[in-house]
Amino acid sequence: MLRILAAFALLAFGLAQEITVLTHNSFSLDRALIAQFERETGLRLRFLKGGDAGETLNRAILTRAAPIADVIYGFDNTFLSRALEADILLPYRSPEVRNLKATLLLDPTFRALPVDYGWVSLNYDRAYFKDRPLPRTPQDLARPEYARLLVVQNPATSSPGLAFLMATVARFGEDGYLDFWARLREGGVRVAKGWSEAYYTHFTLYKGDRPLVVSYTTSPAAEVFYSEGRYQEPPTGNLFPELAFFQVEFVGILRGTRNPEGARRVVDWFLSRPVQENLPTEMWMYPARRETRLPEVFRFAPEPLGSVRLDPGAMARNRERWIEEWTKVVLQGQSPEAVRRARR
Amino acid sequence: MGRLLGRLLLLFLAFALLYPLLRILLLGVGEGLARALGNPFYLGRYLFSLQYGFLSALLTLLLALPLAFLFRRRFPFREALLAWSTLPFVLPAPVVALGFLALLGPRGLLGVDLYGTQAMLLLAAVFYNLGLALRILLPVALCLEGPLRAARVLGASPFRAFLRVGLPLLLPALGSAGLLVFLYTFSAFGVPLLLGGGRYATLEVEVYTLLAHRLAFAEASGLMLLQLATLGLAAFLYLRIPSYPLSPGGLLPGPRPWALTLGLGLLFLLLYAPLLALFLEVDPRALVRAWASEAFTPLPLALWNTFRFALPAFLLALLLGVAYAVAARGRGGLDLLGLLPLMVSPVAVGFGYLLAYPSLRGSSLLLAAAYALLAYPLLARALLPALRSLPPSLPGAARVLGATPFRAFLKVELPLLLPALASGSALALAAILGEFGASLVLWRPEWTTLTLAIYERLGRPGEGPYREALALAALLALLSGLLFYLLDRGRGRLG
Repeated sequence: MLRILAAFALLAFGLAQEITVLTHNSFSLDRALIAQFERETGLRLRFLKGGDAGETLNRAILTRAAPIADVIYGFDNTFLSRALEADILLPYRSPEVRNLKATLLLDPTFRALPVDYGWVSLNYDRAYFKDRPLPRTPQDLARPEYARLLVVQNPATSSPGLAFLMATVARFGEDGYLDFWARLREGGVRVAKGWSEAYYTHFTLYKGDRPLVVSYTTSPAAEVFYSEGRYQEPPTGNLFPELAFFQVEFVGILRGTRNPEGARRVVDWFLSRPVQENLPTEMWMYPARRETRLPEVFRFAPEPLGSVRLDPGAMARNRERWIEEWTKVVLQGQSPEAVRRARR
Repeated sequence: MGRLLGRLLLLFLAFALLYPLLRILLLGVGEGLARALGNPFYLGRYLFSLQYGFLSALLTLLLALPLAFLFRRRFPFREALLAWSTLPFVLPAPVVALGFLALLGPRGLLGVDLYGTQAMLLLAAVFYNLGLALRILLPVALCLEGPLRAARVLGASPFRAFLRVGLPLLLPALGSAGLLVFLYTFSAFGVPLLLGGGRYATLEVEVYTLLAHRLAFAEASGLMLLQLATLGLAAFLYLRIPSYPLSPGGLLPGPRPWALTLGLGLLFLLLYAPLLALFLEVDPRALVRAWASEAFTPLPLALWNTFRFALPAFLLALLLGVAYAVAARGRGGLDLLGLLPLMVSPVAVGFGYLLAYPSLRGSSLLLAAAYALLAYPLLARALLPALRSLPPSLPGAARVLGATPFRAFLKVELPLLLPALASGSALALAAILGEFGASLVLWRPEWTTLTLAIYERLGRPGEGPYREALALAALLALLSGLLFYLLDRGRGRLG
């Protein structure tokens, strides 16, 4: 009798076990997959949305002493160094690691494991440019005929905005990127707070007045996917692969989790084939797992050739300064020379 | 009893304010301040905050001064208009910001887009503070009739009488009102955060950005110190302003009362149009969507959280406010210390808690303590004048008749204080309901209150979330306004 009671107690305890996953606001996965995971493991998954990718990571760092979640997913390579330095993650060499693309394993200590990757890039509205010539080089964006056509995100508050800023640093160098932005400012670039505001409010495809927007190389495919047959071809396209910025999103187990065993199972699950195959049409990123089948619609999302990358160490050292200098030039209207002089 | 209550308050202040501030000080004094001052970027933010505070005070006074003279006259709906002018003061910042967006934003009713301009920030500052300035200027303006008439009798022209007699008598009130508006706008948070477009940020906003997006503790604390020093100076000046003893004067007859009502009504309609725009733009279906929202915190949960934190915080604020008012009745030293929370920015409080009590991060205790800390001075400010005007012989008489000091307070003084207590409670509750800065710093996703639910939706301004944010803001405005009127009935004991 006692044994049966104990078994029941154990079962009840097991059923009540909840794993909290802290993610950014754009997180989404197939509900059926989540339900299946919960059935198979007896764990209950709860997803907490912590804001933008950077904000989410900072929440985890600020609440380090009393963690608000067991697992964090969604911080990217521009923030990887911060997560590792803050030492909020437990190392876990998941058995799934050997199935992942080797180029994505940016953390040799296995505290941050890559889940997916993609490129931040400029999108344009095909309908708007049907009878007008597209800009041919990034410098063209500053020409009068392209004035007031572009909307970007504020790099201080948005991770695609930060990625695009870093792409310009990588492309034009420390000496040139501010001049490029000063020309964009004179061309009337608009700055939105985050990706959804830029895309769903200011982009012409959604009744805004800007036919050029900083988004992802997969966005055109996503438009076809969600159009319910309205589009056979993407209504948008990618511009300038040389300004596309490579992004990797990571998952990690938060130090202080009360259920390390459950947290490890969640990480394995993120890297498992079913979730990896679901990611492309939910998060619009490429799966980190090798030999994963891509959905058909991804033929509209070719990987950009000649995209830019920055060394993670350089990103960690200079991220704050780049954001400050960008704010001075683009938002406050200072001249690039003055900003460079203030550097010393 | 006063001494005991004073000690209780000091104990709370030590834990809830002084120790966290000390932690910021320790972190910021060395490296942080040097880095913040050495970087022209932050210096620029500081200069902007100064400029914003100064221009707002100037604009508000320029408008409030003639209004105060008009409100000396008797005309229909005078009290209603006055009460209406104080309403914005109790409105949460996200509500005001959304009102301005609804009127003058990219999708605004007027079709003029002022988003991210300094003009909109200044308009919002006037919207917020005009009532406050009016409340301070009006009592003095009402006393001016005698001195002005005397000057006229002695041969001065009306203009000269105003310049040589009226204005000097008004100066202390102008100074107080101006400094208060400066205090509030220099450290404004919600409105510049939501309407400044990244280009215009006060120190308070920059501290928040440094913390939430960049995790730069040292720079943030350096900026915090700079802000505290500036606010401290302004508060010091505020307390040093002398006031002239003036014999009270009554209302003057209005020459054309209905014309006054009409003119002022139109002016107020214009000034407070953002609030109307907010209600005009509300789509009831958005409220229904917000109720069952899956992408954001659903409305029932946000309401529940709001009440869950507001109730204990209010009870604590009530206790602290009464304790402070009773203890400060006689002494001036405690007076300044008890008002300290009004000078310290909510973001700094939240920030200090994260530093001082790392093991409590994520405990709702911190949020309740922060709310109470920020709200009790408002309650006490309303209570203190009423308490001081009670004749000291009153409790004495009760004591002679055999009542204990506590009983004397409960049975004799408290009933006389109830109206002031109700006004103060209204202010404190409104402050708690709309608290934004500290909530945003201490926030945990599962704690989302109504104010934060609005911010959460504003973070993703597609048309849908924007509509939901508008609907929630209108709801919160109704809630704050209703509370304010139920408890205060337009008496508006502010300042």
